[in-house]
Amino acid sequence: MPELARIISALNQFANFFGRALANAVAPLPGWLSATVIGVLTGVVMLVGYKYTSNQRAIKRVRDQMKANMLSLKLFKDNMRSVFGSQLGLVGGAGKLLLHSLLPMVVMFIPITLAMTQLSLWYQMRPLQVGETAVVSLQLRDDTPTPLPAVKLDGGDFAEIVTGPVRIDSTKEVTWEIVARTTGLHELQFDVNGELVTKSLSIGDRYLRVSLLRPTLKSWVDVVLNPAEQPFAVDSAVQSIAITYPERDSWTSGTDNWVIYWLVVSMAAAFALKSVFNVNL
Amino acid sequence: MNRPRATTNRRRFLQGSTLAGAAGLTGLSGCSYWSGSNSRVSRAAGKKVIIIGIDGMDPRLCSQMMSEGLLPNMAKLRATGGFSELGTSVPPQSPVAWANFINGNGPGTHGIFDFIHRHPHEQCAPFYSAAETVPGEGAWEVGDYQLQLDFWPFNHKPSETVLRRQGVPFWDYLDASGIPTTFYDLPSNYPPSPSQYGHHRCICGMGTPDMAGSYGTYQYFAENGPPQPIDEGGGRRTRIKFDEETGQGELIGPENGLLKVAKPMTIPFKVHRDLQSNAVAIDLPTQRLVLKPGQWSPWIRLNFEMTTPAFLPDKEVSGICRILVQEVAPIFRMYVSPINVDPRAAVVQLSEPESFIGDVANHLGPFYTTGFKEDHKARTNGVFNDDEFVRQATNVMEERLALFDYAVQDYEDGLLFFYFSSSDLQSHMFWWNSDKPHPIRSTTEAQKWHGYIRRLYQRLDQVVGDIYDRYGSQATIIVMSDHGFSEFGRQFNLNSWLRWYGYLGPPECTSLFKDVDWSQTAAYGLGINGLYINLKGRERDGIIEPGEQKEALIQELIFGLTQLQDEDGRQVVRNVYRSDQVYSGDATELAPDLIVGYARGYRASWATCLGDLTDDVLLDNDQAWSADHCADALEVPGILFSNRKITDAQPSLVDLAPSILKEFGLKTPATMSGKVVLG
Ligand SMILES: [Zn+2]
Repeated sequence: MPELARIISALNQFANFFGRALANAVAPLPGWLSATVIGVLTGVVMLVGYKYTSNQRAIKRVRDQMKANMLSLKLFKDNMRSVFGSQLGLVGGAGKLLLHSLLPMVVMFIPITLAMTQLSLWYQMRPLQVGETAVVSLQLRDDTPTPLPAVKLDGGDFAEIVTGPVRIDSTKEVTWEIVARTTGLHELQFDVNGELVTKSLSIGDRYLRVSLLRPTLKSWVDVVLNPAEQPFAVDSAVQSIAITYPERDSWTSGTDNWVIYWLVVSMAAAFALKSVFNVNL
Repeated sequence: MNRPRATTNRRRFLQGSTLAGAAGLTGLSGCSYWSGSNSRVSRAAGKKVIIIGIDGMDPRLCSQMMSEGLLPNMAKLRATGGFSELGTSVPPQSPVAWANFINGNGPGTHGIFDFIHRHPHEQCAPFYSAAETVPGEGAWEVGDYQLQLDFWPFNHKPSETVLRRQGVPFWDYLDASGIPTTFYDLPSNYPPSPSQYGHHRCICGMGTPDMAGSYGTYQYFAENGPPQPIDEGGGRRTRIKFDEETGQGELIGPENGLLKVAKPMTIPFKVHRDLQSNAVAIDLPTQRLVLKPGQWSPWIRLNFEMTTPAFLPDKEVSGICRILVQEVAPIFRMYVSPINVDPRAAVVQLSEPESFIGDVANHLGPFYTTGFKEDHKARTNGVFNDDEFVRQATNVMEERLALFDYAVQDYEDGLLFFYFSSSDLQSHMFWWNSDKPHPIRSTTEAQKWHGYIRRLYQRLDQVVGDIYDRYGSQATIIVMSDHGFSEFGRQFNLNSWLRWYGYLGPPECTSLFKDVDWSQTAAYGLGINGLYINLKGRERDGIIEPGEQKEALIQELIFGLTQLQDEDGRQVVRNVYRSDQVYSGDATELAPDLIVGYARGYRASWATCLGDLTDDVLLDNDQAWSADHCADALEVPGILFSNRKITDAQPSLVDLAPSILKEFGLKTPATMSGKVVLG
């Protein structure tokens, strides 16, 4: 679905703008602190978003009703019928709350997803350190004739080819091992029969946006998950370029863990601040 | 998690390896110990004792190189304190020698007499001496699985690997006195002995198994490999076929011990090669490697899926390995290191306390955890050439040096022990300090490689210098080895010799485990130096009466062996020791009756160690393993350097423990036979 991928890509460009700005702002902070700050900010944004996309008055009404049911449960606990009625009322109330939160969830799904994929550039993997190696894999189109064409990789003065290219006819891939030489956010250059393409490469000790894959418009999922770089056109000779990066080791801002930490902190912040922003959840 | 390979037959067990062997017996079930109080407040009061244990470092070569000015740091130690030969154990095999060091007493107290022991009541059933896996009892059978549940109402007894070393290790006394001790890669201590007071830390060394439960099983994939995979003592050789430059195979992992019929877990891989660029891409389920000939992969993590009965979630077991592509074309060849236990997530206890090794690995990244790190089996079996073996051994050395750096930085006071294996396993391959022709190399080649050993000594001398520079007069520094080295040009088949003189029958017998007739056998050899009388009442099928008959036989054997001459008139056996004279203590039950001490240049033959007989009694050694130390203890003493005065003319391994205790103000305990030798 290239059309969908194109739309997502456009959204990504928009998100990248904020992502980069935010990245620059929090880059000097230690991981746990930036993850916490971003979690709290996300909680606030979600809260405000919820406030304006949900029917706050209706929610308040349901909440009040539920409170009444709770009260009657306590007051009339010897009256079976009344207790049963209150319990039903509570279940119904919970259902209504869920219904009322559907619209906000739908509306916020997209920004949350965009935020999440932006943050993944940040926390999921870490940049290469100077001297570390990585595997670069370039995927050619399915209909590329074999033997595969010569693909040239130019790492400038920031990356050196250790091994390769290894051309894999069966999967139409070309792959290398490279070693990082100088820090920075660089662009690897590939020459495929005269067609020049690039792929970002992050090297350094500090936080940098790390793009694992430059995707193709043919896969909207890949485009969602890899927002940093412009996707390859459907008819491009190159379909994707992937680089392996080391995992980041941290409970708050490391590989995989960051998602949990981010969700927990943003939820906690939203609950803690709901009265400040006068929001009914 | 894993059970002992109860099905491992004796034959395979023995073929598995000669000196090493292993924990084929060792299940992977971790056994945790009560680690006692964890208050690690040092009462060493700043007192520092640092020991560098250099396995196999030879005093003659050290002296020679010091006089040539090539070991300046050791020479400095000698000048400040002293240098001496260090009496080794009888027999001078590493597990025995290090256990002597640990107990401050001889084999009679620790019960380790050879790499290989035998169960007398099972008539010569062999097992590895340092650790044993005791099979579990009871299991709940579900379909193809059997589960051992150690809780009520099942109360099954899971199998357990136990350290067979007996007696009291010297650090127990320090532990009890609140003095911290840290050991990096201590041999003869797997599984690690527990620290009762929490002041002792140790990473297990020699004797630690790989994920296969062996002392190290590499996997070798080659286009010219055998049609069916073969196990070749220490490794597995497999053919890999390429179809349009893509080949595939599987890495064999540990056995799934939950299955009734244990089956190894495997990980599939594909190799894609590019002939033009002479490189390959290796695709593992979670990772791609791009390698060219001679390039080592970093440590890679292998996650094995362990299937379980349907009602339990499947488990993942992970190990680590490194891969070397040796040739891309025309004959693709690839070596996969033994799959080591991952120190960051160890599936068995590799250290005391259990978390210690993980803490170290979190700082340093993964490293070799098997006891034998240098893959001598790959060299012996021709998977490695000399250069490849050296490269692999250098990888080990580099890891060790990084670990050493960590160890020194992490050290405050108390005792620090650091072990280097490089000098032993590389000397076995490259040592040749003799004019005699080398078993497999030309004289120039032999000299070249012996030069390599000299350079290795120089590298280790720098380590000594590093410690001296950092601690100089603030610490007691001890540099020691467990034994020295000797050429190994001729091999002696003890069992064939016994057969020749009619002590072992029938005359056409070829193996202790196949066609020996115990009713015609008065004595047999097993392991590298052990000679056992087939004694009535002790051995299941014993025929020799204790008392006079045994005594007479012992006299005959000692006489015969010490009279033995090679074709050129050289004496083959320098000494034969009676265990009832050289061993004392509570742990002598499994001791051989006689210990054969070979003269320089000789050793027990490869075949006889495993109970096999050959036509000839004396043969040339034809292996790359061309130097050894399993000779007479007097031939191969170790080294002792210290910045303290050495007060005894003939210090021995058992004297170090009392000397160390004295440094910390402790008296020599009654469990030790050694004496204080440092002033
Ligand atoms: Zn050795």
